[in-house]
Amino acid sequence: MTSRTIQFLQYASIAWIWIFVLCVDGWIISLLIVARRLHDAINASVAIGIIAIPLFLGIASALTYVFFGLKKHRLVEEPERREL
Amino acid sequence: MNGNEIASKDDALFRSIEYTGKNFYYAVGIFVTIIAFAVFLYAGQIISGLGVTGMAQPVSWGFYIVNFVFFIGISHAGTLISAILRLSKAEWRRPITRMAEVITAIVLAIGGLHPILDLGQPGRIWHLVTSGRLQSPLLWDVTSITAYFAASTVYLFLPLIPDIAILRDRGTKPRWLYQFLSWGWQGTPKQHKVLERTINILMIGVIPIAVSVHTVISYIFAMTVQPGWHSTIFGPYFVVGAIFSGIAALLIVMIVFRRVYHLENYLKEIHFSYLSILLLIMSLLWFYFTFCEYLTTHYGNEPDEMRVFFYKFSGDFAPYFWAMILCNFIIPVAILSNKKTRKIKGILIASFTVLIGMWLERLIIVVPSLANPRLNYPTGIYIPSITEWALFAGGIAVFMMGFLLFAKFFPLISVWEIQEGRASSVKEVAHRLRSYLPDELEEDDITKALH
Repeated sequence: MTSRTIQFLQYASIAWIWIFVLCVDGWIISLLIVARRLHDAINASVAIGIIAIPLFLGIASALTYVFFGLKKHRLVEEPERREL
Repeated sequence: MNGNEIASKDDALFRSIEYTGKNFYYAVGIFVTIIAFAVFLYAGQIISGLGVTGMAQPVSWGFYIVNFVFFIGISHAGTLISAILRLSKAEWRRPITRMAEVITAIVLAIGGLHPILDLGQPGRIWHLVTSGRLQSPLLWDVTSITAYFAASTVYLFLPLIPDIAILRDRGTKPRWLYQFLSWGWQGTPKQHKVLERTINILMIGVIPIAVSVHTVISYIFAMTVQPGWHSTIFGPYFVVGAIFSGIAALLIVMIVFRRVYHLENYLKEIHFSYLSILLLIMSLLWFYFTFCEYLTTHYGNEPDEMRVFFYKFSGDFAPYFWAMILCNFIIPVAILSNKKTRKIKGILIASFTVLIGMWLERLIIVVPSLANPRLNYPTGIYIPSITEWALFAGGIAVFMMGFLLFAKFFPLISVWEIQEGRASSVKEVAHRLRSYLPDELEEDDITKALH
């Protein structure tokens, strides 16, 4: 496997994490909309949403920060195409 | 310091990755057999429905929910204990945190799947996606467990990066895996800063998430008006029980893997001694909560509550109830409060009894309340079927195999943290001691004394 392929997989994994987090947040938002439409204890749903949505975004942000932080602060660039 | 230099000192930590003995394959074979048997019986449940279990009206929750609460409880071993030890800068944490974090990630995945077993047809989970009600404690569970799993996995992965880079530099196979997971780690000061900053943020954030998870699990019981469940102390009671069983599970894992992989040089008696004192404290705390819970019920003397109370104290569930008291309080306190018996063997026995006792506690919480509902109903009977027992055994086998496979690919003890401890612990502790003590002592004198 070449370094370039591995790098692609690394970026894909970060993208995958964001897709997962956005899906979870999207699900929570859709449940909020359902609760509002049905007049079904919307306050409780909003309270859960306010805590949960930023939490998932925070987890994904932390990973992304480390991922790009480590890439940025490397001393030596790895060879472009090295067979592993 | 490169991977090879570290290797010479800490070779024992890489032994499980670089050498695979026959016993590994035997163990995997046994676990796969147990898992396959469980999957086979689960397939039968999918085809025939929940009729193959011992659940019926009024006892509509059985082993699956008991094991769900039990496994999620054990997950508190990891991230919570690891975060508290890191936050309090306990130097003895270094060989412990990784194992604790791995327990959390694996056990959360197992426990989180148990409610799906309880649904009968797993496809029913889709209703949760389309028609869930966020104001239901069941949905709070789904949300908080997903958040805890995500946070715990990240919290396990980030401190693993430098060790993965060591494996990459050693040329350990599969090399592409370590190259992929090391994220370009070269150990530069700025990379360390980025990593440590994020770990510090996560370790603060993960504590309230962990506490919330078990509090929310208690709410699926406490938010109902079912006798024996509707209690205001259920939240903290569950959290205490979770940490209690978590420490016991961590101690068992540490003792077993210390023996199997010859990690005696890293996991010393002192580590077990400190953790067992924590276990002792949690045992006393658990008894205090149990006492408070049952005393208030007894004093209130409400007829429906008393039916459940006597069902546990002197009825059908009395053997389990008193076995729970024996396993969670009498045996661990007797063993761990005595310095002579607080040795590794004694700690192992105490930890096993605590795990059995905590599982019995979950059983005693779930079944008797359902067997004695408020409605004018005859007392329910629950006898778990072979399918439920097999899936319980399967859950334990998945946990053990997960741990074994993790040890096959990654170090069970954080190599870079041990290395960091060697390099800077004494200086750090000396600096801290200087700030604690009333007298003006020179840091060098303390350092010399520590050496």
